[in-house]
Amino acid sequence: MTCRARLGALVLASAVAVGCAHYPLNAPIAAVGSVGTAYRFPAMVTDRPDPADEIFVCLSFSGGGTRAAAFAYGALLRLRDIEIGRAGSHRSLLDEVDCIAGISGGAFTAAYYGLHRADTFTSFYDRFLVRDIQRELALSALNPVNLARLASPYFSRIDLAAELYDTSVFEHATYAALAKRGRPFVILHATSMANGAPFEFTQDEFDFLGSDLGAFPVGRAAAASSAFPFLLSPVSLRSYPPAAGFVIPPAVTAALETREMNPSRYTWARQRLDLMAGKDEKWVHLLDGGLADNIGLRSILRAYDRSDGFIAQRINAGHIKRLIVIAVNARTDPPEQLSRQERSPGLADVFMKTATVSMESLSADTIDYAINRQSEREQAQTNIRVCNERLTGCGAAPFPTFAQEIRTCFVEISFEGLPSPGREEFLALPTTFALPEETVKRLIALAGTLLDSSPSFGKLLRALQGEALPGAGVGERGNCS
Amino acid sequence: MEYVIVRFPETREVRVDGVPHGRTNIVMQFEPGSHVVTLGPPWNFAPVEQKVLLYNTAALDPYRIEFRILPPAAIPISPGSPL
Repeated sequence: MTCRARLGALVLASAVAVGCAHYPLNAPIAAVGSVGTAYRFPAMVTDRPDPADEIFVCLSFSGGGTRAAAFAYGALLRLRDIEIGRAGSHRSLLDEVDCIAGISGGAFTAAYYGLHRADTFTSFYDRFLVRDIQRELALSALNPVNLARLASPYFSRIDLAAELYDTSVFEHATYAALAKRGRPFVILHATSMANGAPFEFTQDEFDFLGSDLGAFPVGRAAAASSAFPFLLSPVSLRSYPPAAGFVIPPAVTAALETREMNPSRYTWARQRLDLMAGKDEKWVHLLDGGLADNIGLRSILRAYDRSDGFIAQRINAGHIKRLIVIAVNARTDPPEQLSRQERSPGLADVFMKTATVSMESLSADTIDYAINRQSEREQAQTNIRVCNERLTGCGAAPFPTFAQEIRTCFVEISFEGLPSPGREEFLALPTTFALPEETVKRLIALAGTLLDSSPSFGKLLRALQGEALPGAGVGERGNCS
Repeated sequence: MEYVIVRFPETREVRVDGVPHGRTNIVMQFEPGSHVVTLGPPWNFAPVEQKVLLYNTAALDPYRIEFRILPPAAIPISPGSPL
């Protein structure tokens, strides 16, 4: 073949590639119930408590690129090594984990653990944590074939990233594979570009899109969760007409009726309906989950608050005896430079701050909310218990009680928990998908150190390892007793 | 959070907004706002469901919802169906 012919063939191939390049579409769902392994938290049976519910553990892994992924991995390692010896069996605290919410970098660790469990500790380090993902993405974008594909309006950098994660990190695993693994239920978060609403990769959310999450690649969900604005383009999903038999959940309908009384519940319901396609075609474009919630706690709090939430159901049914939430927060606070310059910040600084400032203020509010919810429940339980002790003393009939007094525990580990001067070094780490191996190793070790030095976590371990029955406690009081 | 107790002569599953939650005659917690409450089978209770507005309750003063047992002759085949 002559040089000219080769060039012609290349141009032709490129033209075909440009014409054909399209991101993979999420699949429509024919009818409600037609999906065999829908990715939802297992349904609760009121009169048949699941022993797995007794100690209910949820983890949240924040965003922050490889820094967050390594920090979350370190937390998993530490939980794996804590023996709680329940019912005479060898069980680690990690075995008790029921749900993991993951954002951006943390989404990779959450999803990988959901798929691989114990094998995570032999493969994730090499397959993700110490790779220079950013370089691989850049090289992939420079590949001539991919350059041609990127010229298509229906294929962008995030689609290349999703392909890389799908093939080399998650090995083409779909949500159907994740569903078969059972607990922990992994909730990967993204943010809807249209209205800033949080988006969760669960079948409950995909129901509103008329779509089957089962066939969706986990790697593509992780890409959506980490599609940092300006650096990467959004992941797009098609919203199909509702599947046959789909009924808007009563929890959503009820929420729409009382906006003034509970605006956050109303907004949540409104945002679910906004996902649905009407007569016209509709697309949902997803950006980094950290834009709506950078620590991933909100989906856990929704499961606690909402009447259709899997935690709320199990608390009211009395199935949960101990509720443990551990937030692994890789938030940084790099030295501030903008305030030291007289000139107005440039466009790049404004873009970056616009994308990250709201992340931080939302994170602090979310942690406050979690702590308030926890103390609210503890207070209500104490009120009933103390009143009934006094009523019993004078022979009066007691007040009705909850089905089960639960012991609650909220632990947050973050670099802020480190003493200075070591803290500043970690707080200055960049958000990137390429960190030196030495830094990755130190982040992994740091998660264990911070857990071990947390007074609340220490109290929790004393209770779990000393109590005769789940939730009985060992005589201590307060958070995590 | 708001607090609710569903009163019924028997112990029965309670369903709130379409999903199972605990049982009758215990205190349960829900978000403020509107909720639809009913019971699980058998369908020997009335009314079929109740829409409630939860606001300003307390654990020691929960919102009370009453269901009554229907006599056998008045039990529908399924909730809300004609006899």
